[in-house]
Amino acid sequence: MSFPITLAFVPQGHFTQPYLALPCLKAWLQEAGFEDVEQRDLSIEAYDHFLSPGYLRRAQERVRERLPLSAFEGRENLPLGELRAFRSAAESEVSANAVIADVEAAKAVLRSEDFYDVDRYVPAVRTLYHGLRLVSAAHYPSELTPHNFTMGYANDRSEEVLAATLDEDQNPFIEFYREEVLPGLIARKPRLLGLSVVYGSQLIPALTLGRMVKAALPDCHVTAGGGFLAYIGEKLMGAAGVEGCLDSMIFHEGEAPMAELAAALEAWDGPEQANLSAIGSLTWFKHSDTGCETVANAPAHPVALNEAPPPDFDGLPFDLYLAPEVVLPYDINRGCYYGECSFCTLPTVIGPGYRTRAAETIAGHLTDLRDRHGVQNFSFITDCMPPGMIRDLPEALIEAQPDIPAEARMKWWCDARIEPRAYTKKAAIRLHESGCRKLLFGFESATPRLLKLMRKAQSPRSVSEVARNCSEAGISVTLYAMVGFPSETVEEARATLNFIREHKDVVREVSLQTFHIDEVALTYRDPEQFNIKILDGAGTDLQLYHDYLSEQGMTQQEAAEMFDEMMNALRADLPIFSGDNIYYFMQKSHYFLHLARGTTPDEFVAQCQQRTEAKTAREAGGPLRTNTARSSVALPFSHVAAANTLAHPLARAARPDFLTGRFVADAQAVAEEQLEPLTPQDCVLVYDEVGHEFVELSRDGLKVLEAIERAGNVDNLLQSLKSTTPGARERLTNYIAQLHNKGLITTFQPAPALPSPSTEPHELTSR
Amino acid sequence: MDEKREDQEQAEASAQEQSAPKASEEALDVEALDLSIETVEDRINPSETNVFDK
Repeated sequence: MSFPITLAFVPQGHFTQPYLALPCLKAWLQEAGFEDVEQRDLSIEAYDHFLSPGYLRRAQERVRERLPLSAFEGRENLPLGELRAFRSAAESEVSANAVIADVEAAKAVLRSEDFYDVDRYVPAVRTLYHGLRLVSAAHYPSELTPHNFTMGYANDRSEEVLAATLDEDQNPFIEFYREEVLPGLIARKPRLLGLSVVYGSQLIPALTLGRMVKAALPDCHVTAGGGFLAYIGEKLMGAAGVEGCLDSMIFHEGEAPMAELAAALEAWDGPEQANLSAIGSLTWFKHSDTGCETVANAPAHPVALNEAPPPDFDGLPFDLYLAPEVVLPYDINRGCYYGECSFCTLPTVIGPGYRTRAAETIAGHLTDLRDRHGVQNFSFITDCMPPGMIRDLPEALIEAQPDIPAEARMKWWCDARIEPRAYTKKAAIRLHESGCRKLLFGFESATPRLLKLMRKAQSPRSVSEVARNCSEAGISVTLYAMVGFPSETVEEARATLNFIREHKDVVREVSLQTFHIDEVALTYRDPEQFNIKILDGAGTDLQLYHDYLSEQGMTQQEAAEMFDEMMNALRADLPIFSGDNIYYFMQKSHYFLHLARGTTPDEFVAQCQQRTEAKTAREAGGPLRTNTARSSVALPFSHVAAANTLAHPLARAARPDFLTGRFVADAQAVAEEQLEPLTPQDCVLVYDEVGHEFVELSRDGLKVLEAIERAGNVDNLLQSLKSTTPGARERLTNYIAQLHNKGLITTFQPAPALPSPSTEPHELTSR
Repeated sequence: MDEKREDQEQAEASAQEQSAPKASEEALDVEALDLSIETVEDRINPSETNVFDK
């Protein structure tokens, strides 16, 4: 008899490639005899659904009803609490039609060869970002981005989390599940549904789905597991009301517990609840006449990784991911062989111990996956590779691809630890020959005092040596850096920044993070060691992240400001971070795909530089006319001022950030007090419908564009201004150069023919 | 999206180019114009740079 199981990766995760958890579970369950296992990436399904013309059109209508721009007219000022609503209303009003028109083409660009053409790639990514802003505005104050999903509800209070699962006005996933997911599940009738919750951004969407499935399919056991729940699961399972969304939770690795749970449910045919007390690492709700009791079982044994089957990706919608080639994740090991860093809690998430697959096993699995799915590219899911693996894996990969030239071998990237004895010049060359194209190293800081506190056991000199060896071998180097580690001073943070700048010839990207404390970190358990005092958030029964006071060095607020200073400097200095080239860094594997295709890091960086320089070099000369593919809307306040205020660290602290931070209860009040309200300013928000960029002009700016249109082109206009003073003429010329730079004026080839009678001048009104 | 720009260029270049310079001066008092132009360079949040987690 069939025992249907459905595994779901719930929104929100990144949209460029599949995650690993479900394929590992599916492979294990099938090996355990459960053949009817369906896996669904509901995150990519939701992105694809939301980023469609029909959905966005409905979102546009909702925004006009919920956030009418007219509500901001005639106001004396606009306080912080209303800036996001204003920004959302303004952007939606001016961009929605163009985004709706281009969204399918934008997805097609990212999924095709056009991805590799930067002039197509950047506007396509912008279109998708702006599409998600429209979706967010329709569910204000919720925000769905390519990297996060947050709501007005706090993630660290169970009452709010549970309320969010019922709020259809703000939670876009309720309708999505009801219309796009539940019908299929009801037809399939799974007996077991497993929800993968790796990130905080997935918590509310997971509980939302659990609640809806439990209501629609009472015989389906709903369980959940994953990295984020390893942190807060125990608290969550103790919170009142969660039994309405889940039946159980699996901690750490899910393979063996999931198979045991499925076996227990399949074997049980009594009228009462199945006895689940023998299943390792399971916490479950035991129902009785007197109520509901939370039962936490003993931990299960960790998986013997080298004996585990390779992940099974069958059934995942490869064609939906927003990349031209799918990059498959693969777990070469689990846990960390080093395991000493005082800030890191990742070994806690995956479960106890360090385990690895043999190099030959990895090579065999990769070639099998390559042949089965027709893929060439992999991201290795690992904290870092131990020295032995750095030596052995390249040999095994090269041996497993006999007679295949180096450039045609499988390509891969992964995280790494600075190991100067392992990443020698010779080893780096061999890694590159085996297909390694990018390594991301934990650098953290250039200050030896802090590195010692972090227990990194590495020196800035060794970082320099390893980065240079890898870069010279053709491997792109990314550094993870941290700002705000307890006791870090402003000068020490700047030393880290300077180190990166001095190595910009070998360091292509930096993943900069502000330090934060979670409850399983050493910094939380032993704060005296770091001279900090941990603060507790009142009423936060699901709290994971904590504020703290440090006796020396930067405050948390100062660290947030230093983050901005460092990021601004990196954007000025690193070509991949400059302007909109940063989209390549921000979308997982997008830059890597260029490297995998044969572009070297040096070539890619040069392309980024050329693009930035070409844009800034645009002038007012040559045959120029207006870009009439634009829409505009008059605003009573400045959109740019609103955006800048919202980006202030004080304002950012007032938003719940489920990924890296805390929900600071009084942050809104502090920010309101310190950040000035906006005063009225007549301006015009213009949307370039080709480049998909917002530009803010004064009302006079529109007059200039209209004058150019009346004159026919820029030259004609300038010739007509005979009585204008040289100074004013120069001002105008400079302004036209800026309009050119922003895409509102474009070059053209003078036309030989007479105008078509059907050509109408573009009307500059809001749509 | 590039095609959109090209099509437009072809259609409009002739219209704009062929029209004779008109009296724009009276409509455009250059001396008094507020010529400000700004774009939002969205600041990057820590949650968007964490390629490790996302």
